[in-house]
Amino acid sequence: MLELKNITKTFGDFKALDNLSMTVPKGAVYGLVGPNGAGKSTAIRHMLGIYRPDSGSVTLEGMEVYENPVVKARMGSIPDEVFFYPSATLEEMRRFYRGIYPKFDDALFERLYEVFQLPRKGQIRRFSKGMQKQAAFHLTLCTRPDILILDEPVDGLDPVMRRQVMSLILSDVAQRETTVLISSHNLRELEDVCDHVGIMDRGKMLLERSLADMQGSTVKLQLVGETPENLNILHESVSGRLRTLVVRGTAQEVTERVAATKPAYFDVLPLSLEEIFIYELGGVDYEVKNIIL
Amino acid sequence: MVTLNSRDSRPIYVQIVDGIREQIALGILAPGEKLPSVRELAGVLAINPNTIQRAYRELEAGGWVTTEAGRGCFVRQAPENAGRKDALVRSLQETAGELRRLGLTEEDLIRLITKGGTNHA
Repeated sequence: MLELKNITKTFGDFKALDNLSMTVPKGAVYGLVGPNGAGKSTAIRHMLGIYRPDSGSVTLEGMEVYENPVVKARMGSIPDEVFFYPSATLEEMRRFYRGIYPKFDDALFERLYEVFQLPRKGQIRRFSKGMQKQAAFHLTLCTRPDILILDEPVDGLDPVMRRQVMSLILSDVAQRETTVLISSHNLRELEDVCDHVGIMDRGKMLLERSLADMQGSTVKLQLVGETPENLNILHESVSGRLRTLVVRGTAQEVTERVAATKPAYFDVLPLSLEEIFIYELGGVDYEVKNIIL
Repeated sequence: MVTLNSRDSRPIYVQIVDGIREQIALGILAPGEKLPSVRELAGVLAINPNTIQRAYRELEAGGWVTTEAGRGCFVRQAPENAGRKDALVRSLQETAGELRRLGLTEEDLIRLITKGGTNHA
């Protein structure tokens, strides 16, 4: 379990993290989402022990992460901007990683050449952006981490490689119960892979829950007719005669209540993660403004 | 193998359950056949292993498969035509719902069904 407790971090007079708490359960695939500038990457740099918080603590299974090589050796990460030493080749980076990570798996490294098909020789810095990302995955997966922390991991990868990388990560999760934290803006993709989601906004955690809870406790209701009285409505929009409502409650509860009022038409649909994101942030005044250019 | 559709409004685990049930009903998966392991399917479909576990639990609860500890999930002898029946009932419900929205009354629908579709209303 990775735990951030009451983390506050300021840069100059800018408060990047404001009493942020979050919990990534062991074996979870956790999706960290939030608008641009919410503090996701800053939170990730705290998890990795790169930043020291002004106050609060970051622990992995109860052990402090900051300045703790024993804990860090169990963490793998793909940062938003991957780093390689100037003029280093993949084989040179392999030796470097092998020296740092005690569980570095050389046999796996050889097998992954078949997957990523990157050149053994040749400076990584001369690779394309997408290939550099692949090189980072090639190295990081071989460290056999207990927890994998990924900041916008599939950015810059082509569709085949995105799927390939996700497939590798998820079979690792199924096999070794690796804990994974992914920050991404691709909510469609996160929805398939995550079982827990945290939505951040302005340095705070807005909502943190298992995806099943989130999707099981709120539904989208479309109907033609009067809005039933006894519903807990979070959001309502009207387009012609069709009302679209976001309602708290399970699909069954809502269906029963609405059916009792006999509307001309209604349909109860599950909410996508993207819709949850938009409605939750709509509640804190972050939404698409209707501006016509 | 089950295919997932991201535009489908059903949750992913339901898509897997329905997909496998359909394959059992159609005989694509034979009784006694082993389902892909959770790990294998998580890799192939690139989805969370818990989602697959949940789908397999549903299938087991519905009597479609049995789980043998350490060996995996196996297709049970399918109840005669049950899958096909389920699928037809569901499609009938959808069609009936649409016809009602188009203005047909319950009586109209009953008349159509009892005629067995031989005549048009």
